[in-house]
Amino acid sequence: MKSGIANRLLWSWRPESPREANDAIVKNMWLHWFPSKVAKRSISFSYSFWLGTISAVLFVILSITGLILMFHYTPSMERAYTSMKDIDFVTSYGWFLRGVHRVAAQLMVVSVFLHMMRVFYTGAYKKSPGCMGNRPSNWIVGILLLMLTLALSYTGYLLPMDQLAYWAMIIGANVAASVPFVGEQIKMALIGGTIIDQNALLRFYVLHCFLLPIFMFLLMAYHMWRIRKDGGLACVDQISLRHGNGVASPVSTKTYSLLGITSGMDIRAQTLSQIEEKDLIPSSPNLVRRIWLVSLGTMVITILLAIYIQFPLEAPADPTMAPNPAKAPWYFLWLQELIADTTFTILGMTVNGAFLGGIVVPSILLALLIVVPYLDRTPTSNCGVWFPRERLTQNIIFTVMVLLVITLICVGAFCRGPSWVFYWPWEQWPVLPVNF
Amino acid sequence: MTEEKTKGVSRRRLFKWVGGASLIAIGGQAFFFLRSCIPNVLYEPMKRIKIGLPNIFPQGHKFLSAFRIFVFKEEKDMHTISCVCTHLGCNVQISEFSQPRKVKHGDVEVEETFEFVCPCHGSRFRADGTHYTGPAPTPLPHYKMEIAQDDGQVVVDKGEEVDKNARLKVEA
Repeated sequence: MKSGIANRLLWSWRPESPREANDAIVKNMWLHWFPSKVAKRSISFSYSFWLGTISAVLFVILSITGLILMFHYTPSMERAYTSMKDIDFVTSYGWFLRGVHRVAAQLMVVSVFLHMMRVFYTGAYKKSPGCMGNRPSNWIVGILLLMLTLALSYTGYLLPMDQLAYWAMIIGANVAASVPFVGEQIKMALIGGTIIDQNALLRFYVLHCFLLPIFMFLLMAYHMWRIRKDGGLACVDQISLRHGNGVASPVSTKTYSLLGITSGMDIRAQTLSQIEEKDLIPSSPNLVRRIWLVSLGTMVITILLAIYIQFPLEAPADPTMAPNPAKAPWYFLWLQELIADTTFTILGMTVNGAFLGGIVVPSILLALLIVVPYLDRTPTSNCGVWFPRERLTQNIIFTVMVLLVITLICVGAFCRGPSWVFYWPWEQWPVLPVNF
Repeated sequence: MTEEKTKGVSRRRLFKWVGGASLIAIGGQAFFFLRSCIPNVLYEPMKRIKIGLPNIFPQGHKFLSAFRIFVFKEEKDMHTISCVCTHLGCNVQISEFSQPRKVKHGDVEVEETFEFVCPCHGSRFRADGTHYTGPAPTPLPHYKMEIAQDDGQVVVDKGEEVDKNARLKVEA
């Protein structure tokens, strides 16, 4: 056993053998989440970029900073904006907490989206012969988590009740109202009336601080549990297939399971994929150390960005005058572009772009993402491999879709001027008269 | 044992019943929750509003931001147009032309000095509220106007739309 102050303070015992290391995982409250051993490939940075873990760490950062911000924020139409100003300028380190919360929220949108891209490009949503579980269902859970991330971002930037928040509420409510037949009811249920007032703010507050995070937490737990039950990351399937053990008889993966500890019982966790010992390494310290590194790195980047990037509020909400141009946050600009460009008239009937661009197109994209694992008929042997040749068509289509979204975001961010008129980035915007 | 089974309800059937009843109960409560989110009473500003005596309005237009309407007065005719864009509800703004422009309203050609522009998604409307470009699907609504019997103020009813050619005749 190594000596040293840290070791003496933090460890009462150190594993002397692989068997003891396994025990350390299984018997520890936090570590028993992990398998006792993991495949070397699944913890490599070059395969997953650890984007799922980064997203989870960002969610933890958001939960903690959000909880503290809840002590200072007042969800009232009269006081929301001033309480935000207090957080920025009066509360000790309030600017820092809000900055970290804001940066983490934006980083989470990025990391969850990149995570989805990684899973797609590696075909990790497929049910390969080496996978004993149901990866397609976990892909769907992942898509729901992306939706929840966007919903949390949307409800989050509504709370300061500045111009951005107010007009985003107006637009969101009217997009909901554009649904045929039941649109007005959905709008009423969403904002609790016909105008943006206290009811609306309170509802978005409850959604942002309670309902959506609870769903997020539960789905994240299920997402991670499913990864375990599917035999780990998809790259592990390749190891099984390489050894020709695609489908095998179940074998035990843990010496002890939680129930197996009870005397007289021997319920063992089992897997269908047989991986040789040489491809495995103990989770402690290998997996634990990397999770610490990734968590620490995520925190450091978030904190540095929060210190160096300013997030000033816009002017207080003014129901009489929308800002010109009124732009959504960058990750919703592609939707704003779609909404602005998709109104059309056919056979004398006008279809509102709010419905087409705000509801129909995103729903089609969502449905496509959900059914992708069931439409993809490429060989399952390339599951867990980056850019395999067999999946070239799928990857090209997916890349084009992603590039379209990014292009629309860029057009919205850099090429839209007053009254949503198109200007090249180097063109001067006209000077508008200011109303006082 | 066999006799007992045939007489009573099997465990499987009991679980099916209990499960079904639970689902109905949960579904019912979910409906109650969703329905409770739609308010039965709105504590919101009145849609029928008094905006002042006719003589306080200048010739031309005046924007009443509190009511989100433009009030127009042309000699003794008054009318009012909503400033709420029919696309997604942003407030449209008046954009004055540097030179009067001739535009066609049906077969009639008229001269206009301004148009309405929505800052959010770029919809544009003629001076009579007709949409001509951008994503707005319908024209800006015109609201019913009348003179209050008690104090002679102009009353605008935002709950009742009228034809774009409807005008309120006033004394001055």
